[in-house]
Amino acid sequence: MLFFKLLLKNRQALIGLAILSIFILSALFAPLLAPHDPKRRVGGIHQPPSAEHILGTTRLGRDIYSQVLHAGRISIAVGLAAGLITTIIAVVTGLSAGYFGGRIDDVITFCTNVILVIPQLPLLIVLAAFIGQVSPFLIAMIIGFTSWAWGSRVIRSQTMALRQKEFIHSAELMGEASWRIITVELLPNLISIIGSGFIGAVIYSIMTQATLEFIGLGDPSSVSWGTMLYHAQTSSAMWVGAWWDILVPCVAISLFGAGLALLNFAVDEIANPKLRANSAMRRWKKMQKQIARESQA
Amino acid sequence: MRFFLRRLSFYLVALIVAASINFFLPRIMPGDPLQIMFGQQMARMTPETVDALRATYGFTDEPLIQQYFQYLGSVARWDLGLSVREFPKPVSEILREGLIWTVVLVGSSTLIAFTLGSFLGLLASWFRGSWYDSIATPLSLVMQSIPSVVICLTALFIFALGLGWFPTGYGYDPQLDPGWNLEFISSVAHHAVLPVLTLVVFQMAAFMIPMRANMINLLGEDYITMGRAKGLSSSRVLFQYGARNALLPSVTTLAMALGFVVGGSFITEVVFNYPGIGYIMFQAILSRDYPLIQGHMLIFTMVMLIANLIADLLYVILDPRVRTGSGDA
Repeated sequence: MLFFKLLLKNRQALIGLAILSIFILSALFAPLLAPHDPKRRVGGIHQPPSAEHILGTTRLGRDIYSQVLHAGRISIAVGLAAGLITTIIAVVTGLSAGYFGGRIDDVITFCTNVILVIPQLPLLIVLAAFIGQVSPFLIAMIIGFTSWAWGSRVIRSQTMALRQKEFIHSAELMGEASWRIITVELLPNLISIIGSGFIGAVIYSIMTQATLEFIGLGDPSSVSWGTMLYHAQTSSAMWVGAWWDILVPCVAISLFGAGLALLNFAVDEIANPKLRANSAMRRWKKMQKQIARESQA
Repeated sequence: MRFFLRRLSFYLVALIVAASINFFLPRIMPGDPLQIMFGQQMARMTPETVDALRATYGFTDEPLIQQYFQYLGSVARWDLGLSVREFPKPVSEILREGLIWTVVLVGSSTLIAFTLGSFLGLLASWFRGSWYDSIATPLSLVMQSIPSVVICLTALFIFALGLGWFPTGYGYDPQLDPGWNLEFISSVAHHAVLPVLTLVVFQMAAFMIPMRANMINLLGEDYITMGRAKGLSSSRVLFQYGARNALLPSVTTLAMALGFVVGGSFITEVVFNYPGIGYIMFQAILSRDYPLIQGHMLIFTMVMLIANLIADLLYVILDPRVRTGSGDA
């Protein structure tokens, strides 16, 4: 597993993985870690952080620390689910367009291009507005089904490039079935692109979910980072000086996104050797210095 | 020329698809679309009023296909229906009032982000592996994964509420009358600083990262080595030989990124109460003014299509292969 070895050697990947594991573990064990019920009034209105409430309370007297832990479960789950849907559709459409070409390619490419020029957020807003107060599950669905186009395009072009390679030609000449060529020959070579596409889709989904909920299109009774922001904004937390009410969900979303971004950066670097510059450049510079020193001596 | 005709017909189809979503969405949702739109108010209306409204919004008993073409026709005439919240006012008129604010906001921030981001990406590729590259590149990626809501709220809290350097909202000082005088324009500029800056922060990485990656790929090309071997100055190799070619994919990204910018500008306008179409959309969402929300999506689609068209034009200017028709675009 060279890939994982390289991943663990990469400083950015390690930081990213550390952040992500803390978040995922705290989301998994939220009911054990949270001192209070996130939907219950357990303190005064907008109490600043104290020993009793580590991260303060909201306008409705709810414990923010308990909320942010529970919110993580929903936000991360929606991000993963939407990212998964996005990636599956992108892989299926991108691979078939790139591999089969012809009519199939024309139809899929056309659909992808149309979706790419229709702006995402307004489309999602129209969909969400007509559905009404959208549950986290539905948010994951509508994000997943509308944001696969970019990934599909990337996978298609990569597949088309791979298709020209000899090992695909020889597999075809040996008479292998196309499903076997796609799954056994093509897919393993696309895994890094699919992986970084998946991470990107998760980042995007979490951001979009927070945005939709922030503007009041989500289900306000669910506890996620987006609805926390929504409640903080509608209760004018910032204007009455309750900065912790806004800050906590902001930090949670940003940190989780940052963790994913760092991981993605590392995956990109490992997958594309040309970008794997940092360590190589450092070695090269050291070598140059050594040569200079030797020539002086 | 053929290239442009093909692009134009594609954009037309894309617009029709967007309009079709608008048409079918209220009709496939369970329940009476008019009931969804007017809600409680319906109970207080006479049957004649309801029928009149049905006719106004096109929810008639005519066959669906006929309704559909009528709808497409009205979109073509730029008749987007009437707003529910400000009832007899046409949607297109409400949107026109906000459009200029959004175009200026998105346009100026995209221009700044494109120039600054491309330049920083260029530097990162040239000084690859240096401390600048190893800090700036991951940092910009991390910035990219922070939602614009967070960026805007933080900027509002620190620079407007905390330090008081900038106003907390709106497009200009409400005590002034709009006009072409210095006082008004400087007020507009002062109010625009934070929204523009947050949008620049939001987009910059989208230009910096591809620029860096493209340049790194290009710097390995033979003609770069050749340029250096000829003894050209670094800046000349960097800008004339490298940047010009590395910018090409960025131009396509520019149009694509606009979709994300539109989303970002929407949030910026909401947080800063900026009077553009994003803010109008937000008001429409709060009062469930569906025709306005739908008109909004159409106008954003139009903006996207125009931006794509401009990107096509730029591409022809920058890439001679497209011009002569030998490249497959």
